[in-house]
Amino acid sequence: MLGASTTQRLAFKGKGGDLFVVLIVNMLLTFITLGLYYPWAKARKLSWYYEHTELDGHPFHFHGTGSEMFRGFIKAIALLLLIYGTYIVGVLMNEVTIVLVGILVMFVGLLAFIPLVIHGSLRYRSSRSSWRGIHFGYRGQLRELYRICLRDGLLTLITLGIYASWFTINVRRYTLSHMRYGSSSYAYKGDGTEYFLLNLKGYFLTLFTLGIYAFWWQRDLFNYYVNNLVWNFQDGRRIDFKSTATGGGFFGLMVVNLLIIIFTLGIGFAWVEVRTMRYVLENIRMEGDADLNAVVQTEQEHKNAMADDLGDLMDIGVFF
Amino acid sequence: MEREIPAVFYDGVTSKPQEATVRVSDLNSLEVVLPDGARFQWPLEHKGMEWERSSSMLRLSFGDHPRRVLLIRDELFIKSFVLRMRYTGRQGGYDRILSFARSGPVIFFLGVVALLVCAYLWILPWAAERLVLVVPSTLDERIGEAAYQQMAFALNEDRDKTIALQAFGDAMDLSPSFEPRYHVVEDAQVNAFALPGGHIVVFTGILEKMSSAEELAALLAHEATHVEKRHSTRMMARSMAGYLFLSLLIGDVNAVVTLVAENANALRNLDYGRGLESEADGVGQEMLFANDLDPMAMVRLLELLEREAIDVPEVLAFLSSHPLTEDRITAARERAGSLGVPQRPNDRLGVLFEQLHPTTDQPTDEMPSSDN
Repeated sequence: MLGASTTQRLAFKGKGGDLFVVLIVNMLLTFITLGLYYPWAKARKLSWYYEHTELDGHPFHFHGTGSEMFRGFIKAIALLLLIYGTYIVGVLMNEVTIVLVGILVMFVGLLAFIPLVIHGSLRYRSSRSSWRGIHFGYRGQLRELYRICLRDGLLTLITLGIYASWFTINVRRYTLSHMRYGSSSYAYKGDGTEYFLLNLKGYFLTLFTLGIYAFWWQRDLFNYYVNNLVWNFQDGRRIDFKSTATGGGFFGLMVVNLLIIIFTLGIGFAWVEVRTMRYVLENIRMEGDADLNAVVQTEQEHKNAMADDLGDLMDIGVFF
Repeated sequence: MEREIPAVFYDGVTSKPQEATVRVSDLNSLEVVLPDGARFQWPLEHKGMEWERSSSMLRLSFGDHPRRVLLIRDELFIKSFVLRMRYTGRQGGYDRILSFARSGPVIFFLGVVALLVCAYLWILPWAAERLVLVVPSTLDERIGEAAYQQMAFALNEDRDKTIALQAFGDAMDLSPSFEPRYHVVEDAQVNAFALPGGHIVVFTGILEKMSSAEELAALLAHEATHVEKRHSTRMMARSMAGYLFLSLLIGDVNAVVTLVAENANALRNLDYGRGLESEADGVGQEMLFANDLDPMAMVRLLELLEREAIDVPEVLAFLSSHPLTEDRITAARERAGSLGVPQRPNDRLGVLFEQLHPTTDQPTDEMPSSDN
């Protein structure tokens, strides 16, 4: 039953100079349209990253469009205005009651929208991603995500933040375990206790080494993400993800990046991006006996870009 | 073009890639041959046919979801394909701009970078300031009122002295567009500040260090100028515009770049803030003169600040506006010189000042009584 185990690596083929051109054109168009081009610029940039990321010699593809994201952008701004609006009106009118109601609306509103934003961005982004013509998908339930966020949010509050490690991992486990690639699916094996200990160790060692351990902490966090990820195929075979990143590697990456930024007065940002993408992606090894050719298309088209933009505006990094 | 072009075909049903060959069969379509010998026509003129070009690859897709996809990496083919699309009007504006930019004219990049830098340094602040001029000044009052109400709880206001300071301020005409409201707050800091729209807070710490009514008048004139010239609102507009510009244009480029840019933005605001302080000194002196007070009082106020504000660490010296008092003193002295001394000295303020000054009971004589 077991086939030969193979090893794959993600590859990043983008060149700094080419990304520089794409981003400069984006900046120019965003500037002359007074910012309205932003969603299109974002779609172009994402496309560029996907197109230059390869698995088994085949590139990924981003299907999202600027107009889709523009509609989401407008809705997201309207929603944020609604959430912050009561507060701002209250402050300007100098009415204490309206201010208090506004603060309440703001807190409840933002908290209530976080799961929606995570859910929506995952659905949008995954449905707009494909590899070899097969689409990714997210099949998590919004209600379940709310349940996790409410429960873990309360526990985090009660434990004065200590439970945050479990919160993070529970959300990560739930969302990643409901990601699919056509007929194959993903699972995440991480658990909060381990993650907590890892952060505890990272925090104190970073303190004791005056910050130097931060790179190794970063490596541990990255490894914890990657090494616990499994890709299950419909025939029961699977592919395991293994990180080959090292603390020294992260150290070199970040120090050189910083030097590039300083000595090019920021102009080298595109090369910094490419170096980072290359380091991260090329340190993810995939091992297993599964047949990458055997996946079948399963996901339907999904149309709703709002949450993707909300995620952007609120700066919630769903993907690492 | 009778060549056979290698291509990769995804059928949209399974993840199995197929090594196909592509041939230009007629003007309107390509002929695609799959490894198993199957062949079909790929329409080029059909509305549902989409194409995208990245730096090294052409991606054609066709049909309903899930779409069928052809990837072609043959450079010659890509070139002639793009030309064809250009002539049949199917090349979008973006692709044109990008292919122009990719051809690498250095002048283009220099131009864009120069444009963005100019926009950030000059156009943007200018536009932000114009915007503030359009916004009615009642906005300043509302923002200031809201801010004052929120901080009032934390301020230990001295009611009697506040009334006295209000009378002191009202004896002068310092801000034509706003009605300044003065507050005295029990606090050892040698400082004072103004909120947009009219609230001016003076700490008892600075009052105690003052030796003449004219110094207090100079302080109020300085703060009232911040209000009158809408400095806070202008500052807010500028820094918000700068922040928006940076986050829209380079915000999601890279965390390090964003960090550097945001700090540079903050530094620039600080620098702008220094400009506003000088303006408050200058216009304040004109106000003093207009109210029959000696503009030299501003110099003495600044000297007082310089003596007392030694608690700012040296490292921050070039960042903070305070240690630059030296320059401000020189400038204020020059302005006082050119403004001259008022003809009819204003002596209404002396009595009002005594109510505010703790050493009233035991008058000291060490202060110089003559100004020239």
